[in-house]
Amino acid sequence: MFVQVCLYFYCKCLWRCLKFVVRKLTGQCELQRICYNTKPGAARTMKIGNCRILSSRLQTSVSVHPDAIEKTIDDIMELKRINPDINPQLGVSLQACLLQIVGYRNLIAEVEKLRREPYDSENPQHEEMLLKLWKCLKPNSPLKARISKQWCEIGFQGDDPKTDFRGMGLLGLYNLVNAWQYLDDFFFSPLSQFSKAEWEKKKFDKAIGYSFAIVGINITDLAYNLLVSGALKTHFYNVAPEAPTLTHFQQTFCYLMHEFHKFWIEEDPLDIMEFNRVREKFHKRILKQLQNPEMALCPHFAASESLINM
Amino acid sequence: MSALGVNKVGAGAGLDSSRGSGGSRQAAVKVLECGVCEDVFSLQGDKVPRLLLCGHTVCHDCLTRLPLHGRAVRCPFDRQVTELGDSGVWGLKKNFALLELLERLQNGPAGQCGTAEEAIGLSGESSIRCDEDEAHVASVYCTVCATHLCADCSQLTHSTKTLAKHRRVPLADKPHEKTMCSQHQVHAIEFVCLEEGCQASPLMCCVCKEYGKHQGHKHSVLEPEANQIRASILDMAHCIRTFTEEISDYSRKLVGIVQHIEGGEQIVEDGVGMAHTEHVPGTAENARSCVRAYFSDLHETLCRQEEMALSVVDAHVREKLIWLRQQQEDMTILLSQVSTACLHCEKTLQQDDCRVVLARQEITRLLETLQKQQQQFTELADHVQLDASIPVTFTKDNRVHIGPKMEIRVVTLGLDGAGKTTILFKLKQDEFMQPIPTIGFNVETVEYKNLKFTIWDVGGKHKLRPLWKHYYLNTQAVVFVVDSSHRDRVSEAHSELAKLLTEKELRDALLLIFANKQDVAGALSVEEITELLSLHKLCCGRSWYIQGCDARSGTGLYEGLDWLSRQLVAAGVLDVA
Repeated sequence: MFVQVCLYFYCKCLWRCLKFVVRKLTGQCELQRICYNTKPGAARTMKIGNCRILSSRLQTSVSVHPDAIEKTIDDIMELKRINPDINPQLGVSLQACLLQIVGYRNLIAEVEKLRREPYDSENPQHEEMLLKLWKCLKPNSPLKARISKQWCEIGFQGDDPKTDFRGMGLLGLYNLVNAWQYLDDFFFSPLSQFSKAEWEKKKFDKAIGYSFAIVGINITDLAYNLLVSGALKTHFYNVAPEAPTLTHFQQTFCYLMHEFHKFWIEEDPLDIMEFNRVREKFHKRILKQLQNPEMALCPHFAASESLINM
Repeated sequence: MSALGVNKVGAGAGLDSSRGSGGSRQAAVKVLECGVCEDVFSLQGDKVPRLLLCGHTVCHDCLTRLPLHGRAVRCPFDRQVTELGDSGVWGLKKNFALLELLERLQNGPAGQCGTAEEAIGLSGESSIRCDEDEAHVASVYCTVCATHLCADCSQLTHSTKTLAKHRRVPLADKPHEKTMCSQHQVHAIEFVCLEEGCQASPLMCCVCKEYGKHQGHKHSVLEPEANQIRASILDMAHCIRTFTEEISDYSRKLVGIVQHIEGGEQIVEDGVGMAHTEHVPGTAENARSCVRAYFSDLHETLCRQEEMALSVVDAHVREKLIWLRQQQEDMTILLSQVSTACLHCEKTLQQDDCRVVLARQEITRLLETLQKQQQQFTELADHVQLDASIPVTFTKDNRVHIGPKMEIRVVTLGLDGAGKTTILFKLKQDEFMQPIPTIGFNVETVEYKNLKFTIWDVGGKHKLRPLWKHYYLNTQAVVFVVDSSHRDRVSEAHSELAKLLTEKELRDALLLIFANKQDVAGALSVEEITELLSLHKLCCGRSWYIQGCDARSGTGLYEGLDWLSRQLVAAGVLDVA
C-alpha cells in the first residue's frame, strides 16, 4: 500500500517534470503537441479530453454553454502564452475538439432526458408517433384498434406497446420510428412484403423479424449503455466534425440494428432464447471495435477530414 | 371353572324355577350373576352377559374393564384369548340362551297369568261363558238384561212376549258398559267438560252438568268426543307405524354399516353355483391397510433417501480423502526433492573452489526449480482451505447437501412487464435496472443466507410463453410475478398461472407469487390479488405464498426468499449457517 502511494506521487511529480522538460525542449505546450502530432478525429479529441487543463475548465463553464468555447480557448492560449497569430491552426483544431467533447456531453444529457420521458397515451404527439411507426412498418394493413393484437406482428410484447417503452421511454420510440428511414430494404422486406407463409419459411428471421420492436428497444438500451459508458466517443469523434447530435445517435442506432441483424444470422442461434447470449457477444465485439481510435462504426456517415482540419 | 359352575348352576336353577312356583323366582335370579363382579346379569345395559371364545360368560361391564392385549382380551377364568373386533367389547355376542332364561325367570309367575289373559284376548267372545249355564259359551249379548248368552239360552230365557222384544246383538257388537258418575252413582256419564280448569276430571253426568261442579261449563256429548279421540289415536297409530318403520329402517341401516365397517364372512355363489364363504374386508380393514401401505411406503422412501444421502456423503468423503492423500504424497515428494537439493548444495559448499565454480550452473538451475516449487506451493496454500469439517444440510425432500451453500434452482415467470428482470437484478446487484423487454432469458445466481439461488428469468412475451417449459426441468421453485398496478391484466396472469400449475414438471415445485409494484399508487393489495387470482382454489394442495413487493426499492423481495428457504430446507437446518 505504502509503495503504491509513493509510486502514485512519484508519477505525478515525474509527469510534471517531464512535461516541463519537453516543453522547454520543443517550445510547444502539450495541447500544441497533440494537435500537431495526432491525426484529427477520435485520437486527437480523446487525448485533448484527457488534458488536465481542459478537464478542469470544461467541468465548470463549457459544459453549460457551448458558445463559451471560443472564450475558453482564448483563455487557454493566454495562459499557455501561445500567440494565436503564429499558431492559427491550433485554435481551430482545439475548437473542433472542444465542440466534440462538449457535444458528446450534451448528447448524453439529451438522450437521458428523452429516455426519462415515459410514453404517455394521453399525449397526442406520442400517439401520433406510435401510429406513424405502424404505418411505416405495415403500410398495407391498417391498424384496427389502438390496443390490439396486431402490435405483436411488429414485435411488441402485448396488445399495448406502451408497456414495452417502460425502460427506454421516448428514446425507444424515436429510434424505432427513425430506424426505417436509414435501414436497408432487406431488413424490412420480410415485414412488409412477405405473406405469412413465406414469413414462416424464413426461419433465420424468426427472432429479429418477428420482434422488431422489442429487439429495437433492446438495441436502444445497448446504444444507450455504450453512449453513457463513453465507448461511443471514438465513433462520434470520428464521425461528427462538430458536436454530435441526436441524429448521429439515431444513425448509430440504425447501424447497430443492422449489424446486430447480420451478427444474429452469422451466429445462427437455435432459437430466440439465445438472444441475451448473442447480444452480450455483440456488445463485446462492438466494445472491442471501439477501442481502436481509428474506428468509426458507420463509415458512410463519416465526415471528410478536411472539415476537421479546417 | 368357577364361572362355568356358576353359570351351570344358574341355568339349572333357572330351569327348575321356571317350572316351579313364583316363590322361587327371587332365589333363581340371584344365582344368575356374573362370575367376576358377582352382580346380577340384566337383559341389557352394563350387566348384559357376553360370550367369550372359550365359552365363558362375563358381564359387559367387567369385559370393558379387562386389560387389552393388543386387540384381544383374556378370559378371567382360563386365560384364553378372545380377539376383539373393531367395535371392541360391543362386538362380542351376547349370551342369548342366558338372556332368554333370564327373561323367562323374571316373567315367570306374571307370565302365567299373562298367558291366560292373552288367551282370552285372543279367542275373544268365544271364551266368554254363558251367564245361564257355565258350560256354554256365550255368543250374543242382551242389551236390556246386560247378560252374555249362548244361542240356546237366549232362546230359552227370552221366550216370553216381553222378553222376546229385548235387543240382542252378537258379542262383537256388544256396547260398552256405561260408566257411572263417581258422585251421582245412579247417573251415567254422558258429557265432557270443555273448560280449561276441569281438564283433570272432565267427565260429568247430567246432574253434574246442571247442578254439580260443572254447572254452567261448556260441554259436549261424551260419545262423539270419545270417537274423536279414537280417531286421533288411530291417526297417531298410523304415524307411529311409519315412525317405527323409520326407526327399524335406521337400525337396519346401522347394522348394515357396522357390518360394512367390520367386514366378515359372506356367502358367495360362484359361477358353477357352488356356495362358499368368502372374506369380505370391511372399511375398517381397508383403512388400516391404507395406513399400513402409506407408512410402509414412507419407510421405504426414507430408507432409500437415507441410502442415497449416505452414498452422497460417502462419495464426497472418498473424493476428499483421495485428494488429500494425493496432496500428502505430493508434499512428501516435494520434501524429498527439497532435501536432495539441500544435500547437493551442502556437498557443493564443501568442495574446492574450482568445483564450486563448475557447479555454478547446476546450482542456479536447482535454485530456480526450488523457487518455482515454492511459488507453486504458496499458490496452492492460498487457494486451498484445509478444513476437516463436512458441513451437511438437508433439503425438505431429504436430500443431503454438502458444502456451505445449498443450491436451489428457481424460475421467474410472469406476464411481460411484470418486473421479473428488475427483481432479478435488484436481488443480484441491489440496483434498479432500466427495464427493457427481455428477449430470451437472463440467469443469475443470488446468494442468500446459506442458500445459492440460481434464478432463471424468462421473458414474458406472448411468443415466449410456450418456451417456458424448457426451463421447468429440475426446478424447485417457481416465482410468479404479477403486476399489481395493472388491474386489466390480472385475469391474463390468472390464466397463465393456471396453465403453469397443470404442468407435470412443476407438480412438486414451490410457488412464490410476487405482487410487484406495490409502490405504485392504486396498486392492488396482496389480499385483492389473492382473491382475483383465486389462489386458494388454484394452488390447493401445494405450498404457495404470496408476497407483496416493490422491485424499485427492493422491499419484500428478501421476505419472499426467506419463505423459499424455509420451505426448501428441512426445519432447523437453516440456523446452521
